[in-house]
Amino acid sequence: MEAIAENTPLLLQGIAYTVALTLLGYVLALVVGTALAVCRVSPIPPLRWAATVYVEIFRNIPLLSLLILISFGLPDVGLRLPYFWCGVLGLTLSSAAFVCENVRSGINTVPVGHAEAARSIGLGFFGTLRYVVLPQAFRTMIQPLVNVFIGTVIGSALCSAIAVSEITWVTQTLNIQYAQAVLMFLVAGAVYLGMSLGGAALGGALERAVSPGGDSERGRDRKALDVTAGAQA
Amino acid sequence: MTPSTSRPGRRAVVAAAAALPFGAALAACSSDTGSGPDLGGGASDGGGEGTPYGDAIASGPLASEDAVAASAWATAIKDNGKLVRGGTLANQVFSLASTTGEDPTGFDAGITQLLSRYILGEDGAEKVEYIDTTVETRETMVENGTVDCVIATYSITPERLEVIDFAGPYYLSGTAIQVRTEDKDSISGPEDLTGLELVTQANSTGIQAIEENVPDHDPDKVQTLPDNESCVAALKQGRSDAYVLDQGVLLGNSKADPDVTVVGEPFVDDPYGIGLSTEHEDAADFVNTFLQEIIDSGTWEALWTATVGEVVDGEAPEPPTPGDLPV
Repeated sequence: MEAIAENTPLLLQGIAYTVALTLLGYVLALVVGTALAVCRVSPIPPLRWAATVYVEIFRNIPLLSLLILISFGLPDVGLRLPYFWCGVLGLTLSSAAFVCENVRSGINTVPVGHAEAARSIGLGFFGTLRYVVLPQAFRTMIQPLVNVFIGTVIGSALCSAIAVSEITWVTQTLNIQYAQAVLMFLVAGAVYLGMSLGGAALGGALERAVSPGGDSERGRDRKALDVTAGAQA
Repeated sequence: MTPSTSRPGRRAVVAAAAALPFGAALAACSSDTGSGPDLGGGASDGGGEGTPYGDAIASGPLASEDAVAASAWATAIKDNGKLVRGGTLANQVFSLASTTGEDPTGFDAGITQLLSRYILGEDGAEKVEYIDTTVETRETMVENGTVDCVIATYSITPERLEVIDFAGPYYLSGTAIQVRTEDKDSISGPEDLTGLELVTQANSTGIQAIEENVPDHDPDKVQTLPDNESCVAALKQGRSDAYVLDQGVLLGNSKADPDVTVVGEPFVDDPYGIGLSTEHEDAADFVNTFLQEIIDSGTWEALWTATVGEVVDGEAPEPPTPGDLPV
């Protein structure tokens, strides 16, 4: 416990870095990923291909390799970013690919008839997306996007390999000094668990808020209700 | 836009990602302090009779029946028929797996095989089970009995001694400084590092060496990276101004790469010990007796010459005194 008591500021700094990496990486990934998804469903073939190539590359590179490439490969071609921004960039590039696929599959859940109807009343490509397809697609995307968020949280731990002093780095460093591995990693684990659960709770609340009619009862334990109804019958 | 219009066929761009020959080695778990440079030879040639390494192992002493019987720890290993060692197999100079199916080689691997031979007899060197431990798991795995001992460039520190026992030291390392060759005249010791960007390995004792020896050191200017290659890259690319680590590893880097140079002399002693569980009170004495025997018989020196001596210039150093713990 002394390892924690004596190093509270360092641990807090580690948590702050983890939160900053995750939020920056995730928010940027949402922006980039949505833009990519729009490219992937666009009527312009070169855009579709470019987005597809991007997704297949960044979805299939291990994040650690990507971070190392950005940190130690880019300087060789003249671009040297601070380690923290290397981390943000790596998380963004990787998560954006997953966001793109989630947004695209969300778009695909909207019946084609809706899009056709939108076109028939004169809405263009962006109008169709904005007023008809995306609002409906958004609901089905929430849970998959929560998964991407959790992936980003966990992925941020890999930034310890590029000298970003986030919580995993801090626990590793303190472990060298205090030889208290189990305790230190329980602390780090609790931080990740807290962030992931927080993200999931937020996602759940958002899902209920945007469910049809804004009925907060819907989307929550509907199966469980059905089961009890069956039991009463 | 119609979401379900047929899309163009998927291209196998996956190949592009697969073609990046990168990070495979880096994805490995962190090895222990300092992985040496790949010099394409020396300790990585594999052992076997007729090589300096193989001969060093074959010349190792054997314990008497009585000595093994007198130690509960050694008796348990003999009854088990193998020595279970915790450590790494990814450290160029100290313990490297063979690519040709031979036993691992390196200074730590040699100590392991000599200890196994000492307890288990003539062909004991082959009866080692190598279990991967990382810096995070070393104390836990030795204390819960997963491994009989940890031999992994394992610095003896007071904090670690509170948790486990150490035999040794069997090797005295020293923390030194490496800089870009163009800076070699402006930096000569830790007192010159104040205010500079420093880099060391994440799982090494370099961090403490910096804290204790660099005047007014700024924790925010100490970067830690998982392996030697990243640290050298950071130094050469100007992310850091000095690389602080075990001198043996740094000398290997200079030998492989003229752009970096080791300056000054080691400023911290770093004694490596053999980690043992506190449950076996007799283990440390037994292993210390073994270490004294390989030192007295010249086996220690032969092993040093075949491993560390391949990357460090000069004669073998004076071996440390086993049992002389720095507490």
